Parts: sequence; structure tokens; C-alpha cells
Amino acid sequence: MKLPRIQPWIAGLAALALWVALAAWVHLQIAGPPRARAVTIRLAHWQNEVGPADGLNDVIKRYEELNPHVRVKQMVIPPSIYRQWLRTNFVGENSADIVEYGAWLQGMSDIPVRYFAPITAQLQEPNPYNRGTSLEGVPWLKTFSDELLEQRLNSPEPGQYYAVTQARGSFRLFSNRQLLREVTGSDRVPTTLIELRAVAERLSAYGQARQRPIALFAGSKDTATLLMGMYLMGTTSRLVPELDRDGLLSLSAPHVLGGYLQGKWDFQRPAMLAGLTLVGEFSAQMKPGFQQLSRDEAMREFLHGDALFIFAQSGAARTLHDQASFDVDALRAPQPTRDDPVVGPYILGPFADGNDMTSFGFYLNKRSPLKAEAIDFMRFLASQEGNALFSAQSGWPPSIRGVPMSPEVAAFVSPADGYMLGISYFSAGGNSRDLLPRNLYRLTGPQGSPAKLAAALDEQMPEAARADLAALTRDAWLATLPQDARIAALGGLVHARPDQPAHGLARERLEAAQNQSEARALMFARQLQSAGTNGRER
Amino acid sequence: MNRLSITYRTLLLLWGIPGLFSSVKAASGLEAVWNSIADSQPAEAKAELRQVELIDARERALAGVVVALTRLPLTGDRLRELDLVLADLTLEVDDLSARALYLRARLHQVHSTPANYARAGELYRELAQRHPASHWAQLGLVKLGLISLYALPEPADPAARLAAAAALLGAITEPALRRDLQMQIGWAGLFYNRPLDEVLPHLIAAERTGGLFALIPEDLVLQIGELSLRAGQYKQARTYFDRFLREYPVSLRRYNVQQRMLELVRREKEGGS
Repeated sequence: MKLPRIQPWIAGLAALALWVALAAWVHLQIAGPPRARAVTIRLAHWQNEVGPADGLNDVIKRYEELNPHVRVKQMVIPPSIYRQWLRTNFVGENSADIVEYGAWLQGMSDIPVRYFAPITAQLQEPNPYNRGTSLEGVPWLKTFSDELLEQRLNSPEPGQYYAVTQARGSFRLFSNRQLLREVTGSDRVPTTLIELRAVAERLSAYGQARQRPIALFAGSKDTATLLMGMYLMGTTSRLVPELDRDGLLSLSAPHVLGGYLQGKWDFQRPAMLAGLTLVGEFSAQMKPGFQQLSRDEAMREFLHGDALFIFAQSGAARTLHDQASFDVDALRAPQPTRDDPVVGPYILGPFADGNDMTSFGFYLNKRSPLKAEAIDFMRFLASQEGNALFSAQSGWPPSIRGVPMSPEVAAFVSPADGYMLGISYFSAGGNSRDLLPRNLYRLTGPQGSPAKLAAALDEQMPEAARADLAALTRDAWLATLPQDARIAALGGLVHARPDQPAHGLARERLEAAQNQSEARALMFARQLQSAGTNGRER
Repeated sequence: MNRLSITYRTLLLLWGIPGLFSSVKAASGLEAVWNSIADSQPAEAKAELRQVELIDARERALAGVVVALTRLPLTGDRLRELDLVLADLTLEVDDLSARALYLRARLHQVHSTPANYARAGELYRELAQRHPASHWAQLGLVKLGLISLYALPEPADPAARLAAAAALLGAITEPALRRDLQMQIGWAGLFYNRPLDEVLPHLIAAERTGGLFALIPEDLVLQIGELSLRAGQYKQARTYFDRFLREYPVSLRRYNVQQRMLELVRREKEGGS
């Protein structure tokens, strides 16, 4: 049988029609009709204590009601593996669309520039989820209580914002209300160091009478480090103006380290010896061997009623409230006063026991295929409604202005009623940070004393300070080096597209940031060259 | 034959449409390379550079050096190789030559170990001499100022270092770059414990230029206020402290400044300026 002959142009048209039909089918299979099917965005963080995950669940639930085509999956990654998890997933291009990150995470300083997308432009516009609230029409950036101060401090590219925050934090002395009442016979809480010492005396008598010793503070390496670091800085505050060469009214790491190497301060100074004496008092109020214990063990000690107070960050509140069989109050840190017998002569005045800086920052994955959806969720997360849901369920103070707070939550916000002194003597770097815990036995041991501890610290500090200053120099160079290629590339774009002012602005900002990092690196290197050893042999 | 040729042409056209798009991509290829580098995506930049066609050989060579600078650190051999490429590119007198000369100076200053500050300084000076109006020459003068302040062996005396850096300001016409160097001269003055009357004018000039980012604007206003107080320039101190309290309502150092204002009032009552 002979088949009819098909004209070539008909065959061509048929092939074209088939090609178009196939292309359309493939396109629909890949993309789907707009908004026809749900997409899932992923949100990762490491806050695995009681509260934050529940708060985020409430936010997600409400968001999904408002946006039925979007699903949000929350991923809580254990803090112990978070850094490795984050890097592995970014390298494998499998990271969540929105991730928590903190500038203090060690060995991760390259992450923001490599993997996060700046959201500066979005932050200049009003947040649509704030419509109908007191923040309607207000640029998103201005709706944060601190206008994202942490981003201004730590942004990898000065002037660019990369994250939105969820909460505020402070330090608090959490108290067992019933026990405090039993011990002191009243509901009055200690507000000064002198009053705190009086409570300690009564507590000791109370324990002896019942043959059951109760510690003043629940002890662990973590909680003790927080407590001692804050008080050592606050009770030696008269030293700060002496070391503040640049007139910034607070100290930064190079001032602390460089100042030490130049002999501007040491641990033999009367203010330091007084501060170390106070550290000794605090150590004696924790159970022996506390340095071997973790924060969780300190929490258990407090929850069992074996300690009257626990010093912790405000984020611990929800866990303490949920798990304690007694009422827990969050007290402001008792302040030293001018008539304090130990540290009185060395203080400028009250010191800050927290600040208004917001944290728990969420960043947008630069390579997310769902950037628009992710940004939209971030807008809801950091809107008045979203942040209120988070705060109510987590018990963490909100980051957004105008979000109502219960009195319990409001108690975690410290008013600006004390000196902000900057970095403490033991926080200026990894090497100097280890010195106090490593040598604390020289203070608390049987033959220990503040003078012995001070002598040991002064022996070890020159080497630690030099190593920390060298690390600061290295970090400043690391921030400088990769920018040469980026500046040259932006120069290429400016040259190719003179009609686009955004390239010129980006180059100007990057050059300013690099000039700043480069000058710091050169200054630190010079400081290292010229710094002495504080009069001590190396 | 004619019918066959129509079918053939149709198929060719269908086949050729994606090809048309790829030539458009090739034309804008270098821009894609620059975008990827600016976006910190070195692997993409390298792949894109390989795909770029029909561009000037000098442009390609320069782009190759910039791509190489995204993969740090560089070995000594690689640095020498790049230096030779750049040296070749500086022979002409055009914008590309200025960019190449700037990058040569950067290789010697920041990418070599140990840094060769003296050679970098020579190259920055040569750049300023050959391309005085170029942005790269202006930026190079800022870098020259920075190494004069801290790294060049001569002049060794701090006052002379500051003077050497300040002498470059006259040749820097771009306000943002002039501001950057002026601010660093002020801060170097503090580092070298120079008199406050010498330091303050630099900081005030930098602050007036504006356009600064991050925490620096807040730091500068506070710093000028406090240093003015220390220098006995109370009126100026008040101006800057007032500005700080007005312009930085959420600063963590508000309490500190309020306390310094009380000190200022006390000193004013004692009969200061």
C-alpha cells in the first residue's frame, strides 16, 4: 500500500507545532501556573531551648493562613553542630532559604559576603505587614527598636544590612522568690552589692540552721564567666577614661590589648585588685568545682532549690519559668555603690546590665530559588504582628517597636541607666579570654589571693595580648584582601555602564570599607611593632 | 529543491534561535564576569570569563588578573606572573592602563608576603603622575597616605608621617576619598598621641563631608564632642554632644554622653571657654 506523500512544508509546520507544544508542556511542568501550587521555604536556626521554636511555629502558622501558597519549614539545628552544618549546606548548595547567623561565630566571617544577600533596599521601604498598625508607612529599618545596631557594628560591608532580628537580650539575676522570702523574711530584692552580701550572710545562716547548704549563685563555667566578666568591667570603670585614648567613651579590643602592652594598665592596679577580690567573693558563693560544670547543670542546681540565684541571659527565662516549681523573678544586676567597701572607690557609677541591641538575626540565602517568598516571610516575621506572636510564645523581648510586652518580658529590657563600657579585659580575644578561668584557682584555692592571681595574670597577659593583637591584625587583613577584586570589578561595571549610578555608589561604599579595614590592619601591625611587654620579660 | 531548502531553513531557524541568545550573552559577557566578582562568586566569574568572546585582548587580560585575585592567597610565582601581565597593560595611556597600574601597586602592598611597601609607594606615585584625573590614581593616593601613616620606613617621626599624608590631600579631588584619608590622618594623630588641636580639624572635616556608613558617623560625632571637651573647646563639645543625643536616640552610649554633658556643665561653670 502506498502512503500519501506529505508535503515538506506541512511536515515542517507539524514539527514546529509539536516543538511548541512540547516546550509549553515542559515549561508548565517545571514552573506550573503562577501560584497554583504551594512552595516550601526553609528556615534554620540553633535556638533549641524552650520558647523560640514555639514562637516561630506561631508565626509560621499565621503566615501560612495569610499566604496559603507558601509553606514554611522550621529546622532547629543543635548549636554544637550548627557551624559545620551551615557551611556544609552552603557549599553543597542545599542550605535553607533563611538562616540564623551571628558575627561572633568563630571561623565563619566569610559566610555573609559569600552566601547572604543584602536586604538594604527592602529595609528602606515600609513593611507591608505593618499596614493598619502604628508602624504603617515607616521604613522597615526604623521599626526595629535599635534600628539594627548589630548590623551596623558587624556588617561585612559597612552600610549594607543583611539580617532582620527577632529579640532583645540582657543579663539578669534570676531569683527563687519563695526561697528569698524564707531567707530574708521579706520580698525586698537586693539592688546593691552591699545588699547582696547581706543576703549571702543570711543565706549561709539559713543553710547552716537546716544543715543543707544553699549556694548564693548556681555555678558553672558559663554562668560564672558571664557574671565575673560583667562585674570586673563594671567595678573597674574608672580605668576606662584612662584607657580611652580616642574619646569613644568605651573600650574596644585594641585599646585593651594595646594599652596593656604599652603599660597603661595591669592587674596590680588597685582597681583591678579590687575587682579580682569581688570575683573571689562571687566564686566563694558557688559550689566547689563549678568551673567543670555546664550551664545546664547550673540550671538544674537552681531548679532543685540548691541555689538562690542564677545569673544568665534573658533567653533562659522561659526554660526557668516552665520548669521551676517556684516563682522565678528576673532581677537587675545589683550595682556597686560609692560606699562599697571593696570596689566603691573605683567606679564611675552604675553600669549597663544589658542593652537595647536586638539579636536572633535571620539572613537571606543569596542562592535561594525562592527569594521573593523568603523576603515576604521575613517581612511578616519582623512585623508588629509576627514579632508579637513570637514574643508572646517565646517569652523573649520583641525587637519591633510598639509590640506589647507582659510585665515579665518587659523586665528583661534594661533602660539606659548605666555606663556602657565596651569590651571587658577578658573579652578582647581568644587568648586573653582563657586567662581568668585557667588561673582562677590562684584566687580561690587554699593559699589563693587576689595578689597571687594578679601576679599570674600579669605573667601570662603579655603573650596573650600580643597573640590577640596579631589575630586582630590578621582579621583586618582578611577583610581587606578580597575587596581588591570586588573594587576592580565594580570599576569595570562603572566603566561599562556609566548610566547606572548604583555601581558607583557600591564601589564608593566598598572602597570606604576597605580603606577603613586596611587602616586598622596597618595601625594594629604598627602597634604590635612598637608595643612593649608591659615591662615584663617575654 | 526549493521545498527542501524551505524545510531546511525552518529547521535551521529553530535550531538557531537559542544560538542568537547565546551571542547576546557573549556580548554582555564581561559584565557578567564583573557582576559575579562583585557578588563574591569566583567560580562563576572564572567560568563566565572562559565563555566570553569578541573582547579586546587587554580587557581579557585585565579581567583574568582580577579573577585571579578572587582566589587568594596567591603564590610567589603566580604573583610574578600577574605582575608581568599588568606591567604589559600599563604601557598604553588609557583607563585600563590606570586600573592595571593600581592593581600592580596592590599586588606589592597587600598580596605579596612580605609586603613591599616601598615598591607599592613608587607605583602609587607613578599612577598619580601619569593619570592624575583617574579615579584609580585618587584611590591610590589614599592608599599611599595610609602606608605613609603606618608602614613606610621613612619618614619615621610621627609628626612627619602625618605631614606626609596630609600633603597628599591637595591632590585628592574626589570628596569621599579625601574624607577617608582625612579621617585616617585624624585617627593616626590619636594613635601617635599628637596634640588634640592638631587632630580635631581632620576629624571635623571628615565628619562634615558625610556619606559615612555603619557605626563611624556615630563614633565621629561622639569623638569630636569628647575630644573637644578634653581640649577645653567647650562650645564645640556641646555642639557635638547635643547632636549625638539628637541624632542617635538608640545609641548604647547615651548614658555615657549624658554624664559627660554634666561634666561639661561643671567645667563651663568653672569658667572655661
